[in-house]
Amino acid sequence: MTSVRFEKATRRYAGTPKAAVDDLDLDIGDGELLVLVGPSGSGKSTALRMLAGLEPLDGGAIYIGDRDVSAVRPRDRDIAMVFQNYALYPQLTVAENMGFALKQQGVPRDERITRVREAARVLDLEPYLARKPKHLSGGQRQRVAMGRAIVRRPAVYLMDEPLSNLDAKLRVQTRTEVVELQARLGVTTVYVTHDQVEAMTMGHRVAVLKDGVLQQCDAPGTLYHQPSNLFVAGFIGSPAMNLVDVGDDRPTRIGDTTVVFDAAGAAALEGAAAGDVIVGFRPEALRVGDGPLRARIRTVEDLGSEVFVHLALEHRGANLPLVSKMAAPFAGRAGDDVGLQIAGTTHVFTADGSRIVTATSSLAPR
Amino acid sequence: MNTVGERRWVNAVFGLLAWLVGLVFFFPVLWMVLNSFKGEQDANTSPKLFFHPTMDRYRDVTKTTRGLLSFREAFANSAFVVIVSTVIVLVLAIPAAYALAIRPIPKWRDVLFFFISTKFLPVVASILPLWILAKDLHLLNTRTVLVILYTGMNLPLAVWMLRSFFQEIPHELIEAAEIDGAGLRGQLTSIILPMAAPGIAATALLCVIFAWNEFFFAVQLNPAKGSTVPIWVTTNISTRGNFLAKLSAASVLASLPVVLAGWIAQKRMIRGLAMGAIK
Amino acid sequence: MSTDNPTIVGHKVNASWRQRWPLLPALLFTIALTQVPFAMSIWYSLTNWKIIPPTPRKLVGLSNYSTLAGDRFFREAAWTSIEMTVVAVLGSLLLGTLFALLLDRKFLGQGVVRTLLITPFLMMPVVAGLVWKNQMFHGLYGVLNWVLEHLGGKSVEFVSRYPTWAIVATLIWQWTPFMMLIILAGLQSQPADVLEAAKVDGATPLAMFRQLTLSHLRPYMELGVLLGTIYLIQVFDHVAVMTGGGPGSTNVPYFVFERSIGGGWVFGQASAYSIVVVIASIVIATIALRVLSGLLKGEEIA
Repeated sequence: MTSVRFEKATRRYAGTPKAAVDDLDLDIGDGELLVLVGPSGSGKSTALRMLAGLEPLDGGAIYIGDRDVSAVRPRDRDIAMVFQNYALYPQLTVAENMGFALKQQGVPRDERITRVREAARVLDLEPYLARKPKHLSGGQRQRVAMGRAIVRRPAVYLMDEPLSNLDAKLRVQTRTEVVELQARLGVTTVYVTHDQVEAMTMGHRVAVLKDGVLQQCDAPGTLYHQPSNLFVAGFIGSPAMNLVDVGDDRPTRIGDTTVVFDAAGAAALEGAAAGDVIVGFRPEALRVGDGPLRARIRTVEDLGSEVFVHLALEHRGANLPLVSKMAAPFAGRAGDDVGLQIAGTTHVFTADGSRIVTATSSLAPR
Repeated sequence: MNTVGERRWVNAVFGLLAWLVGLVFFFPVLWMVLNSFKGEQDANTSPKLFFHPTMDRYRDVTKTTRGLLSFREAFANSAFVVIVSTVIVLVLAIPAAYALAIRPIPKWRDVLFFFISTKFLPVVASILPLWILAKDLHLLNTRTVLVILYTGMNLPLAVWMLRSFFQEIPHELIEAAEIDGAGLRGQLTSIILPMAAPGIAATALLCVIFAWNEFFFAVQLNPAKGSTVPIWVTTNISTRGNFLAKLSAASVLASLPVVLAGWIAQKRMIRGLAMGAIK
Repeated sequence: MSTDNPTIVGHKVNASWRQRWPLLPALLFTIALTQVPFAMSIWYSLTNWKIIPPTPRKLVGLSNYSTLAGDRFFREAAWTSIEMTVVAVLGSLLLGTLFALLLDRKFLGQGVVRTLLITPFLMMPVVAGLVWKNQMFHGLYGVLNWVLEHLGGKSVEFVSRYPTWAIVATLIWQWTPFMMLIILAGLQSQPADVLEAAKVDGATPLAMFRQLTLSHLRPYMELGVLLGTIYLIQVFDHVAVMTGGGPGSTNVPYFVFERSIGGGWVFGQASAYSIVVVIASIVIATIALRVLSGLLKGEEIA
């Protein structure tokens, strides 16, 4: 049973006021694929490196299984890591790269060869076993980096943005392969990425980090439909959620329409303290047609299967851009005047980011 | 390397070892400096650590005697020869490196080989013809002949190193400059020289070191006038009497300029040797 | 890097001339300074030119070369040259690598130690030779003997009894910093994530060094050997100042010097020796240049 646990793990760099990783608490189950996601500087790579033993802890502890590994050397932690730039051993062949860790463990040569061959077969690397990294393409190098990890049977796999250097098409392809592989091998995996699409499609659970602090850790669906704060709401989902600052007016208004909440939503809003709130709804919850909120179409992005309509309207004296997702075919064109209506989940956040309520709402004319 | 799990004392032990090695390796230099402050009695007996320090030896070696080479003269000669030759080396090597790196001519590898191959010719092999040429051109005993020879001595190294530094400059910058109409001079002044300045400094420093310390050509071609500091040092060896302290003082004075320059610029020199040499 | 005629947007460049002329000053200067004396040496080597006793110069064909073939002093000098160069290059490479490994860590006063270690390279060769001869190796006043005696041994006249090795020791002392700097650059150019991967893969520091670092250092070591050989094969200052070529410590540069302007004044013969040395150097150079082109090729792949 190899779970991984971060307990108030903290990393501080001398000279910077904020911690790179601040009091991180994470419980990762045996066999789980957990994704650490966040913008650059969020501490996700640092947290991974702390788990690897490449960064020391300034506070808290890290457990692999039942063992406190906070002060244990990387080579004694029984982990395997895939690096962002692959970090392949330049002077060794593909086969030697993949067998390197086994050689350090003293695994006898025959067994090494067998295991390397097996991993090479799984990753389609057999024709390249005798080549050196400099003679491989980016995609091939990435597979060697993966192969180096899977040839071992460690307690935990660590992956630091392993797909970010691949071109877009290869990335999508490889994503699926990684997920399948992890499911088959059943090894606990901690996966770092800055790409929220990767995070949503790969992880059993996703941990969102910002400025070293954990924002929310949940299954992708939960993160999408029930973001626990403003940052998560705006970070997850593409195009991003429409976030409208409606000030401290009650009832809340967008443009010259009123936002009408369902019973639960209205109650929560009343119970909450007065002050500026932010209303959020995803593009698919915004309908373009003949609704009460007048707006102008800026551009129409026709992706074939769906259409993203970029709109603009006046709200509280300033220009408010909104995005709507409509099904194809869509009749509107840039410059058209249209009416908008909300038909779906609406979130309300306080100005400092915490969530007040998730409810349904619709717009009504003033 | 602040690594997790490494025992604290490992780093301290290596640090201590490094200090020990450094001090032992440096010891001969230290000893030379100490000796330069001793009287001849103290210097010419079994090694003594404690003594009455005196500046007399420095006074001895720097006084000017008629008919003998003085420190002041030797220093002036060396400074002149080293600075002028290094400047000429840079003036010649920078365009050459341009032609080998920025817009490489088709046979750049062969040319580079040729330059380095001239260092394989033992200096000793060419000294005779050079001596004869110098005599015929009335250049014996002048500073000019040393300037010419040191330039030739350092040029291959300078071309080699500058070429590697110039290669570091992103090609897009050069292309942009060409589109903007800049020729060789424009590109050099606005892009290449500023960007490669540390590399040029490192190259110049190495040229200065080799030229300042050069002894063979100096002694063969300039026995009397135009003598440089290395020659002056050897004049402080006498066959009668004790001379060790005096020699030490002379050695310290002779070595000081280059040692100080090397100390100050060592980071640059390291980068220079590394990049200039490898890439 | 494009090596064919580039065209700049809009106008074609006369690639030949415009590309080549910046190289010419340096090239012409070097050719004049090196090839002319070389040609002259060949000419002299075919004569019997002597100054003492003054002899009219006349062509004697290859007889100087046949004398050389039988000259055992020349053979000894050649052998001494080889000994000195090989031991000095390898010795300074080994020591330099060890020092570089020590310096590759962070510790208090690292910069100071590095400064101390590079100083020998900055010193004038004649000064280094004199310091070692008179202060370290000296039979009576030398520091080494002082240490030896305090350890219970007897004092040794290093320079008289082991002239060649005394010179080699001084050479190693002076050239170790040079090798150290090159190797240090090599150590610091290892990509950090490769070393981290090795740590995660279970490699001990020793295993990392043997299996990864050494092969990474190879081109740096080759370069050190190449440059070191170029300079060390020509050593003159130390020989002149420490032993004057005495018992068996004459290397080829000093030998040629002795025969020509250093007292022998047999210019014809000395020139023949020089030519032979040049030919030998060319052979060595061709080998070395193979190494060089391996280094330069490495650029293309990267």
